[in-house]
Amino acid sequence: MSMSATSSAPAFQPMTVVWIAGIVLAALIPWFTGSVFHFHIAIMVCISAMATGGLAVIAWVGQLSLAHAAFAGIGAYTSVLLVTRLDVPVLLGLPAGALVAGAVAFIIGAPLLRLRGVYFVLITFALNELFRLIMLDIPEFSGGSSGIAGIPKISLFGVTLSNYQSVYPFALFCLALVMGLLVLIRRGQLGRRFAAVEENLALAESSGIPTAKTQTIAFTIGSAIAGFSGAFLAHYVGFISPETFGFQLSVSYVIMLVTGGRLALWGPLVGALFLTPLPEFLRGAVEYQHVIYGVVLIAVLRFLPRGLAGLPRQLSRKGGRG
Amino acid sequence: MSFLIAQSLINGVILGTLYLLMAIGFTLAFGVMRIVNFAHGEFYMVGAFCALIGVTWLGLPFPVTLALTIAVAILLGALVERVVFRPFRNDELSGMIASLGLAMILQHGALILFGPDPQAFPALVSGVFKWGALIVPKSRALALGVGIVILLIFYIFLMHTRHGRALRAIVQDQEVAAVFGVRLEIMYPLGLGLGVALAAVAGGLMAPLFGVSPFIGATPLLKAFIVVILGGLGSIPGAALAAILLGLIESFTSSFVSASAADIVTFALVIVVLLVRPAGLLGRAEA
Repeated sequence: MSMSATSSAPAFQPMTVVWIAGIVLAALIPWFTGSVFHFHIAIMVCISAMATGGLAVIAWVGQLSLAHAAFAGIGAYTSVLLVTRLDVPVLLGLPAGALVAGAVAFIIGAPLLRLRGVYFVLITFALNELFRLIMLDIPEFSGGSSGIAGIPKISLFGVTLSNYQSVYPFALFCLALVMGLLVLIRRGQLGRRFAAVEENLALAESSGIPTAKTQTIAFTIGSAIAGFSGAFLAHYVGFISPETFGFQLSVSYVIMLVTGGRLALWGPLVGALFLTPLPEFLRGAVEYQHVIYGVVLIAVLRFLPRGLAGLPRQLSRKGGRG
Repeated sequence: MSFLIAQSLINGVILGTLYLLMAIGFTLAFGVMRIVNFAHGEFYMVGAFCALIGVTWLGLPFPVTLALTIAVAILLGALVERVVFRPFRNDELSGMIASLGLAMILQHGALILFGPDPQAFPALVSGVFKWGALIVPKSRALALGVGIVILLIFYIFLMHTRHGRALRAIVQDQEVAAVFGVRLEIMYPLGLGLGVALAAVAGGLMAPLFGVSPFIGATPLLKAFIVVILGGLGSIPGAALAAILLGLIESFTSSFVSASAADIVTFALVIVVLLVRPAGLLGRAEA
């Protein structure tokens, strides 16, 4: 996986313009069709893309987290409890969710990140399971297995976003913020440090990069983004339970990231855009949806190691290295 | 009190044996192929469905059904190794991600074929063994007995046959094993096939006790995962020790505290072991 060279690319390549144009067009689809169903899918794409974007930041230092759903859960529960118990406005609940998720990641990050490769995946898998079990064990906060229903909708300065058409612009705005943050990190000094750690930890360490600190920063930022997306999800869907943030959700974020491209800047967005609508258009055949997910995942790993976002580059290199 | 302790001890050993059946294949796949196989639990599910089909649809005797289950699982495992895992031989992370996809395919494939409802499995034996106040249902005793026999056969295969030695050689050092004439092209599919066959046997043995559905693979995977982390990824003696330990911990905490406490305690233990001693209780350190 030595492809971090992409991070040092100039700001405006023709490819980037094509990507941005494509994504803007896709974002406009619900307004063209006017269908409430399409608005719903588009909102779900935004939420998934934010969460997957957070996972991407962690992946940029070479780590794959299977605890991403747990951090989304921490953000969701933080915001929901603040809003329902302490009457905090939702607009403050969302960043609070991000803050708490990020703080937890920062505290537990240092010991966790000493592990690399499959060992890091395994410990985050165990953490996600531990989160679910503990939440089930404290029903007075989590609602237990029946969860918390009737969560207040998002409201901006006194205006409640009660329907799909009004939530969508705000979802797009939040996604733009997250993607903007990703671009800033990627183009800045931090992004170069991330890439160095990802490519060769020992070399990065001996070149004077504080690798442990760098990994903790990535884990904290990524998990905070997960917390934000989880809080958004909770207020949009209106229901959460410990089971919402189980292993399956972590796996679906990993699938979106890998399908989009593990190290590509636009990978999370492409992955979410490709995979989120898939199940919605296969209604009535939900079993097939997961089989298709599995096949897509294995096929992408095998034939497109850079994900869908790397496809044009791979094609333009006459077959690439596939 | 002493009766409760003895009963917990027996239950713990029964649980531990079943966890060991699950864990050996999981740890073998890592030792031989460096694959963390998240689809391992789904082979337990496949084994349970094989047993169901053999006993209720085809009317075969249970021992014949188990033998067929093993054969089917070995073939399926070898096929999966060839089609899914082989391209990722030198990439642990991609192999593991691929196994997540494989698990989805197997589980939801079973859902398409058999539907979501749990299916009853006819009881093979009924009644209980009694020693004073101690009670062991005969169905559990049967599962335990067959499980131990299969573990013994596997142990003899591993320690005293040519292929068994070859597998152990690969676990120790793949390159040196290859230099000494171990054929990886045969041993990789064989290793994965045998590993998932043990999971499938566990599924077949447990089917009469717990019923069969497409979703039964998740819990055995978690147990195998805990056992293998505690014992050290790739270490078979470590898995044996950890499986019995986990069985006893679960049995005692659920007798004396609560079942949810048992789960939380074991997962906390897993995290501590990974942090303090990633190679496991008995595993050797990574190079």
